Amino acid sequence: MENFAFAPAYELPVWPFTPPPELGSTKPVRHPIVIVGAGPSGLTLACDLAQRGVRAVLIDEDDTVGVRGASSRGICYAQKSLEIFERLGIYERIAAKGITWSFGRTFSGEQEVYNFNLQANSVSRQPPFINLQQFYVEWFLVERILELGLTDVRWKSRVTRVEQLADGVRLDIETPAGSYTIEADRLIDATGANSPIRTQLGIEAHASRSTDRWCISDVRFKKPLPTERWTWVDAPFNEGRGVWQHLMADGVWRIDYQMPEDCDTAYISQPEVAGARLREQLGPDVEFEFVWIGPYGYRDHLLDSFRHGRVFFIGDAAHVVSPFGARGGNSGIQDAANLGWKLALVAQGKAGDTLLDSYDAERQPAAQQNLQVTSRSARFLAPRSPAEHTLRRAVVALAARHPFARALVNTGRMSVANDYPAAPQLPEGARSVQNLPLRWADGRETTLMQLLSEGTHCIGLWFAPTREQARAALDATASLPLRLLAVGGDSGLPTLQADDRLASHLGIGDAGSFALVRPDAYRAAVLANATPEIIASALRTALGHDSNP
Amino acid sequence: MITEPRIPDPDGFYAALLAAHEGRTDAQSADLNARLVLLLANQCADQDVLLACIRAAAEDTTTTTAP
Repeated sequence: MENFAFAPAYELPVWPFTPPPELGSTKPVRHPIVIVGAGPSGLTLACDLAQRGVRAVLIDEDDTVGVRGASSRGICYAQKSLEIFERLGIYERIAAKGITWSFGRTFSGEQEVYNFNLQANSVSRQPPFINLQQFYVEWFLVERILELGLTDVRWKSRVTRVEQLADGVRLDIETPAGSYTIEADRLIDATGANSPIRTQLGIEAHASRSTDRWCISDVRFKKPLPTERWTWVDAPFNEGRGVWQHLMADGVWRIDYQMPEDCDTAYISQPEVAGARLREQLGPDVEFEFVWIGPYGYRDHLLDSFRHGRVFFIGDAAHVVSPFGARGGNSGIQDAANLGWKLALVAQGKAGDTLLDSYDAERQPAAQQNLQVTSRSARFLAPRSPAEHTLRRAVVALAARHPFARALVNTGRMSVANDYPAAPQLPEGARSVQNLPLRWADGRETTLMQLLSEGTHCIGLWFAPTREQARAALDATASLPLRLLAVGGDSGLPTLQADDRLASHLGIGDAGSFALVRPDAYRAAVLANATPEIIASALRTALGHDSNP
Repeated sequence: MITEPRIPDPDGFYAALLAAHEGRTDAQSADLNARLVLLLANQCADQDVLLACIRAAAEDTTTTTAP
C-alpha cells in the first residue's frame, strides 16, 4: 500500500495573556463595547471600530489564530470582504499572500458543462475573489488591530456567564490568572456556531443538520493547475459524486469530496483512504503531500433576530449555512462592517440606539437569503429522490448542449454583497457600491474605500451642483456626519471627475442628481433632483434620526 | 397560464410525443420527459406562468395511481 506524507504543521503566532486591571477588583468596570470571539467577524469588527478611532475590548479563549488543525475553515474571500479589508488596511497583505481568481468551471463526468467569469460584472479595484487560508486573514487582522492600538485584546479569556442588565450586560470571565467580572454597554457575540452566550441566553437558533457527508483534503503537489474554481457535479474519480477543487496560499489545494450519506467519517478521512481517492484523481505519477484531512457534515441555523437587548450576534453565532458559494465567513465579515460604523456613530453621540436596530433589519434578511441560496445548491448536489436524480440528469445532459440549461447547474452561487430590503432607515432599500477607482478634478487618483477609510461619515456624491446649492447644503448638514463631494461641475466642493462608470454604477448622472453612500459603502438613497433640505433629510433618515432624534 | 387550446395540431403533437417515447424503458422515458419539461420551460420564459404550471400539474391527482 502507498504511504502518504504529511507536510509539517504551520507555525502560527501566539500572543501573550496579560492580566487585566479588573483582576482582583471588587467593582465591575464598565466598557462601552465588548466583543467576544476573535474569529473573522469579531476581528473585523474590532478592526473596523479601531480604524474609526473607537475603543473596544476583544475577548478570546485562545491565544493564536486558526482552529482545529493547520488549514481547515474558510478559504474564499469575496469582493465585498476584500473591499472592507482594503478600507481596514490589510488588503495588500491578503492580495500578496492569497490566490486571486474569478473563473470557475463545472464538470459532469469528463465534460465541462458550465463556466463563469465573475470579473465581467466588476468595476471594483478588488478582484471578485481571493483564496487564502482563514488563519492568515485572522493573523493580518490581529496585527492591524495591535498596530491601531485602540483595542484591549484579552487572550486566554473565556466568558463563563453573561447577564442582561437594564442598561448593559455583565460578563464573568475566566483566565489563567483567575476570574473577574466586567460590564458592557453593548456586547457583541462573535463566538461562532456553538456560541455559549446564545445557549446561555436561551435563544433559539433553528438548527438543522444535513446527512450529506464531505471529506476535505488539503494537499500540496507539483502538478500545475490553473487558478480556477473547478467543481464536479459527478466526478468519475469519486464514484460519481461531487468534488470541489481550489488553490490556496503556499501552493496548497483544497479538494473537497462528497461522500456517501451513510459513510463512516473516521474511515473516509484516514490518510490511506483519502490518499487512494487523490491517486485516482491525479494519476499514478503525481507526487503530493497532505496538509490536512477532515470529514464534515453540513449544518445550518439562523436566529430570528440578531439583536437581543444589549447583545448583538454576528457571524456564525447568528447564522450558519452550508459552505456552497463561500457565504459563511464572508457574511460574518459583512455583518461586522454593517455594525461597526453604527456602533461608532452611537459611541460618538452622532446617532441614537435606533440605528443599531437596523443591523438586524439588514443583516438578518441577508442571512435568510444566504440560507435559501445555499440550501438550493445543497439540494442540487444531493438529490433526495429518484425524481430529483432524474431532473438533475436532465439539467446536466441539456447543459452540455444548450446554454439555457447551464444556468440551472448549481454547484454554489458565489457570495455577493446582499441587497438590503426597504426599511425605515432605507426607504428604497440599499445596494452595495463597489470600490470604484476615482479621480479628483486635479487628476489625483482615489477610490471609494479611500474616501471612506478615515473617520465615520456618509459620502454625498452630487453631480454638478451649483455653487449656491453646495453652500446651502454644507450649512444644512454641518452637524451631520457627511462628506459632501461634487462629481464634475464648478460648485466649490471637493470635486471628482465625471465618470461614466461611476454614473452607471450609481444609477444616476444628470446634473443635480445625488447618491448617498454609507460608511459601509451601501447606497442608502438616490435623489434625482437634490436640494439641501432633501439631502439633510435623506441623511437623517439613513442615520435613524427621524424616529429617535 | 393559458389553458385555452393553442397547439395547432394537437393529434400530431401527441403522436410525436408518443413516438419519442417508443422503445424506451420507464427510466429512459422519465429522463426524456424531464429534458422536455426543461426545454419547454425555457420557451415559456415567464416565472409566474412557470410557477402556475407547476401548481396546476401538482394539483392533478388522476395520474398518481398506475394502471
